[in-house]
Amino acid sequence: MITGQGITRTFPGRGSMLRREPVRALRGVDFTIPDHGAVSFIGESGCGKTTLGRILCGFEEFDGGDLIIDGQSMKALSAKDRAPYFRRIQMIHQDPYSALNPTRTIRQILSDPLELRARQTGAATGWVSDRRAELLGLVGLDPDYVLPRYPHMLSGGMRQRVVIARALTVDPQVLVADEAVSMIDVSLRLGILQLLQDLRSKLGVSLLFITHDVATARYLGADGELYVIYRGSVVEQGGTDTIIQHPAHPYTQCLLSAIPVLRGIEQPGKDRLIPLAPLDERSQPPGCLFAPRCPQAAEDCTAAVPELALSGDAVQGSVTHKHACLHPQTRSVVATATA
Amino acid sequence: MAARTEPETQTGTDSGIAAVRVRDLTVAFRTPEGDLPAVSHVNLDLFRGQITGLVGESGSGKSTLALSLLNAIPSPGQVIEGSVELGNGGNVLALRGRALRKVRGTDIGYVFQASQNSLNPLKRVGKQLLDVGRSHGERDSRELIRRARDLLDDMGLDATRVLSSYQHELSGGMRQRVGIVFALLLNANVLILDEPTTALDMLSQAQVLEIVRKVHATRHLTTLIISHDISVIGDLCDRMAVMYAGRVVEEGPTASVLATPRHPYTRALLTAMPRITGDIAEARALPGRPPDLSSIPREGCVFQPRCALATPGCLETEPPDTIEDDHRFACFVTAAETR
Repeated sequence: MITGQGITRTFPGRGSMLRREPVRALRGVDFTIPDHGAVSFIGESGCGKTTLGRILCGFEEFDGGDLIIDGQSMKALSAKDRAPYFRRIQMIHQDPYSALNPTRTIRQILSDPLELRARQTGAATGWVSDRRAELLGLVGLDPDYVLPRYPHMLSGGMRQRVVIARALTVDPQVLVADEAVSMIDVSLRLGILQLLQDLRSKLGVSLLFITHDVATARYLGADGELYVIYRGSVVEQGGTDTIIQHPAHPYTQCLLSAIPVLRGIEQPGKDRLIPLAPLDERSQPPGCLFAPRCPQAAEDCTAAVPELALSGDAVQGSVTHKHACLHPQTRSVVATATA
Repeated sequence: MAARTEPETQTGTDSGIAAVRVRDLTVAFRTPEGDLPAVSHVNLDLFRGQITGLVGESGSGKSTLALSLLNAIPSPGQVIEGSVELGNGGNVLALRGRALRKVRGTDIGYVFQASQNSLNPLKRVGKQLLDVGRSHGERDSRELIRRARDLLDDMGLDATRVLSSYQHELSGGMRQRVGIVFALLLNANVLILDEPTTALDMLSQAQVLEIVRKVHATRHLTTLIISHDISVIGDLCDRMAVMYAGRVVEEGPTASVLATPRHPYTRALLTAMPRITGDIAEARALPGRPPDLSSIPREGCVFQPRCALATPGCLETEPPDTIEDDHRFACFVTAAETR
């Protein structure tokens, strides 16, 4: 189990010395990734979801708060001592075209981490090639076809499967998929999502899915937990299906409204909203960060920052459903299938 | 902020007249292994005042088809046969030199794929807009700037800020909108957008779609939008065409194509797409992978290797178009279905 406690990350600003403002990528995020769980971080570009994923994998430092992996605080450890903990968390990159070394065959790509693993665990000779074939079988690739080939000889979907197999070489407990299907052909996306879902049930790995598309998150873990992130803060949190059916925060409602509605087979939700003002990362409003773009902002929204709290009676939700909005309202924003 | 405007399903009095007619178009790439057709015997009408969508996976030939509307197919691609006629007469494919330059920009406005990355990083946006005008012989700079300001206002952008910005000072969604301004600056009446929302997150995508809807209506355009994402097309377009391996395999009014898809590929695409409505368990990934130019079947139906309904006959002859009302598709098997 992995827990984040009030994680903050601020990047130094760029540009002219006079106008330079630090960028607050994460403003105190709490999250839990349970064993065998499926967790999704949702938000638009620049909301901090990718930074959070990178911190989780140990690619990025955090300035404040703490990350606890299997009961061990990462803050208390030196960078060297953290390594074995971060090994348990592996990232599947967005772009399978640049995640694989073009000058090495798939055999080489998979053998190096496996040989290292064999030395660590003292496995017998022959383990590497058996394990290699086993992993490729798990991700649905034919070892005889794939192993002698270079990445450019494979399709995007196959490459993404190789990336997943490589992540599995070190026996991770958590797979972090950052927009893992956005670069893959539409007809093959569902196959990758189903593969990740299979790995969760077969190997018991937890999945962390980072995306801007709620529909994809739904396919990866409808029974999982969804965190909606806006400008470095969690604004809504709850069961994936609960949030899709009863979104409380206007930002979540905007994200759900933004999903295209298929003519002829779906009808838009009657309260669909879309904010036309683009995100201004430089603005630092005193109260709710979403207030300047919020279609429902009231006067008191600019007074104080709303805290993430359990949803009350105003919105029907499950026991774990939390949101950070002073004036939550029920709206039907999600499209419904035409009968 | 604005509530979403509903698309008008009824189009103006102009509907039914084609502004652009593609007839029997074949475009092939000359290679040492022979001619590889990227677009094969395609017929497509862009009706005046309507938004037409072209959906297909990578390598389906959709961008090649769109570029041929400008007679701008990159070498070694060549038009083997067919024509692209504009409503006011004239075959674009027969034009050369000055006449062709006039059609590009003044008749047809084109927003290129990844146009958010195609601005000159060393020049302010305003300067680049003036360059576009001058290169087409527009002498009146004030008029150009006025038109650019009108367009930027229509897109919900701060015209003064954008005109004096460099491209790195604008967000992805803003640059995409600037791309549309460039395409419409010379008062083109046909607008072509190639993958306008591909690199954008859901919110920016919804905003760009809303803007396309708006400029299309207020400027009485004929619009062609190309996307790999059937949901974008399904949300925005009046008519849609589905491309696979260089052929238009299905074409018709969007609501009709989505509600009663007749080609097995369209059906498979719809079930393979992660959606927010419907039963997750019913989703199926497509088997196989999209063909590239060299692996397109030379005989029989191009979709046959991935098709669940394929019969022995599908291996031998390429299915002709079946036309039902104004909905056409190319499949032997589904043509025999009773509706």
